[in-house]
Amino acid sequence: MVNMKNVIGIVNFHTSPELSPLTDSRPIGSTSFLGRYALVDFALSNFCNSGISNVGVLIKNHQRSILKHLGSMDSWVKNTKIGKMSVMINEDAISGKEANTDLNNIRANDWILYDTTASYVVIAPAHILASIDFRPILEEHIANHDKITLIATMIENPSKAYLGEEIIHTDKEGFVTDVEDNDGHVRKPSLCSMDAMIINRTILADMMHQYGPRNPLLDLKTLMYRAALEENYRVRVYEFKGYSRCFDSFKHYMDYSNELLDKETFDGLFHPDWPIYTLTHDTPPAIYGEDADVSNSFIANGSVIEGTVINSIISRNVKIAKGAVVKNSIIFSTSKIGEGAVVENALVDKYAIVTRSHNVCGKEDDPLYIGQGVIL
Amino acid sequence: MGIRIAAMILAGGKGTRLKALTRKTAKPAVSYGGKYRIIDFPLSNCANSGINHVGVLTQYESSELNSYIGDGKNWGLNGVDSITSVLTPHQTEEGSSWYRGTADAIYENLDWLDALDPEYVLILSGDHIYASTYDDMLAKHIASKAECTISVIEVPWEEASRFGILETDDHDNIIAFKEKPKNPTSNLASMGIYIFNYKTLRAELLADAKDENSDHDFGKNIIPSLLEQKKKMVAYTFKGYWKDVGTIASLHQANMDLLLSGDPEINLFTVQANHRIYTEDNHATPQYIGPNAKVKDCLINQGASIKGEVDHCVISSDVVVEEGAVVTNSVLMNGCHIYAGAKVTNAMVGPLAIVKEEEVIDGDPKDIALVTKTK
Repeated sequence: MVNMKNVIGIVNFHTSPELSPLTDSRPIGSTSFLGRYALVDFALSNFCNSGISNVGVLIKNHQRSILKHLGSMDSWVKNTKIGKMSVMINEDAISGKEANTDLNNIRANDWILYDTTASYVVIAPAHILASIDFRPILEEHIANHDKITLIATMIENPSKAYLGEEIIHTDKEGFVTDVEDNDGHVRKPSLCSMDAMIINRTILADMMHQYGPRNPLLDLKTLMYRAALEENYRVRVYEFKGYSRCFDSFKHYMDYSNELLDKETFDGLFHPDWPIYTLTHDTPPAIYGEDADVSNSFIANGSVIEGTVINSIISRNVKIAKGAVVKNSIIFSTSKIGEGAVVENALVDKYAIVTRSHNVCGKEDDPLYIGQGVIL
Repeated sequence: MGIRIAAMILAGGKGTRLKALTRKTAKPAVSYGGKYRIIDFPLSNCANSGINHVGVLTQYESSELNSYIGDGKNWGLNGVDSITSVLTPHQTEEGSSWYRGTADAIYENLDWLDALDPEYVLILSGDHIYASTYDDMLAKHIASKAECTISVIEVPWEEASRFGILETDDHDNIIAFKEKPKNPTSNLASMGIYIFNYKTLRAELLADAKDENSDHDFGKNIIPSLLEQKKKMVAYTFKGYWKDVGTIASLHQANMDLLLSGDPEINLFTVQANHRIYTEDNHATPQYIGPNAKVKDCLINQGASIKGEVDHCVISSDVVVEEGAVVTNSVLMNGCHIYAGAKVTNAMVGPLAIVKEEEVIDGDPKDIALVTKTK
């Protein structure tokens, strides 16, 4: 059994891809998901459920959106005295004085590494969706006396998933021997990095101070791979075998949301003994009118459904008026779909209003995006 | 210096007429509205009134209720200069006893109140459903220089004999009070909500405790005694939705009142803002409505999975309604499971209860069927 007090967790927002236009004003990690969550809830809940109570959040930009979601930051800690969450922002990088990399952010906030006696640091991204128990991975890491463990997963066809992450080659013992960018050229089953790692705290501190000042553009990932390939740090790969999705495009955001309407897929992500925590909003249960017609959909609390909703995800405080039809779509919180309006293959962002009898239709393979606060 | 006002919520009642629903649960902890427990209403009302010092007096099946209330976090009553205390019967130098009545419950906790030294004390019931603040009532209490203000509601004349009825003069001064009068001369019913000047209340409770013939009850003893002493007592007329859910039928009706087809005065979507009701949040996944489901005129909480037909229902978290099941005019409490082909009409299905495949529960709108978890 690993003593989890000996572990700190870091959620890394720096490595999240931009999924324009969805992430123009927020990172994907604090973007609404399944009507109830933000994507980062999964990383934070994984830490909490794994017993990691000291967590840092590396923020790259859009801190308003992230801080709003984190709230008083006690939604993901068990003991509110022992558990703590710290926000890490690199102010110099935001004012442009240095590169806004995760490594520079950790260097600017390096107390997180020194103000602790923890031996291990678990770093997880905000843009990869999975329910991961870090405890067995830590156990292996410790038993093997490894310095760095990279978490990866087997992807059937990397030209269609995990784009922007790395394809990892290993030797028989599972150590990284080669790394290539997954830019879509590989079509055969390959191990792809989940952008999550376990690293010994002193190793991270040493590496950071050794290489950081030499190259101000260096990021954590590059440093880790360089260590693996050039410096003989030996990075072992742990293969995660559960359900996981890397949010690498707007289309995939839609697909990965919608596929969870399938019960079997849903059960792959949500386990009864692995609750996903999120911020509470004190909204009443969803209410349905006499003429509501809803099928195969997720509906969040606080919604008023008087129209038709098919194969869709409806977030908090959304109003679907009588005669409105929402099909194959995702509606973000506090938006309104007016009487007789039709929304199909679309994502309607927060606070948007689709007025009476308006049609908003995208294509199945090219969903339409309606921006925050847009009135149509 | 003491505080301005403290609230004492009486939450020790058993609620015998709720039958099996309150066999293991105190009435204020009974599930309501798909997401709430009844006591969320007075607690949220306190929070929304800026009353940050709240004592909750529990007794019957108190452990579930006590842990639910905790430090008041769910209602934000755990902030700076705030306190939420669960006050159960306790041992003292004089010995120990269960609360002998509503007034005795407060008397036994005078130490708690003395430590706060409030100017006013608000006495509430933990099992009433209404979304409001006490701001206007307190303002009236202060403006009229009353020693006690009683919140009243106008009830239909034919029902007046079921309530404690107040008579008032033209200035809302209370001139008479009668518990369940046979021939009521007024239709102003006491809601069991009182504001007292603490000094007045304290003196009266000390006197009442010494009276061996007293039932130690606010309605039966304290209010009549204060009237007899010609203390200035004022009625505050409450407008809006208020329900004391005593029976399965009235709890069922109070749930149905929340629907869009129900009573707009208690619609949780319109009582937002200053009257918002807070409750414990669970970590359930979003509610899922299946491909062949039919959902009409319902209130459904997160974590529910509806694959059958539901019409005119209030449905809590983690409820499962399987494909082919038909549920009409019913309340499904948290975690209950309605299996395929079952038919549930005019019913209240309790927490974790099971309605088996093809089983038929056929209640009457006037005689709601109750299904509870069997061991």
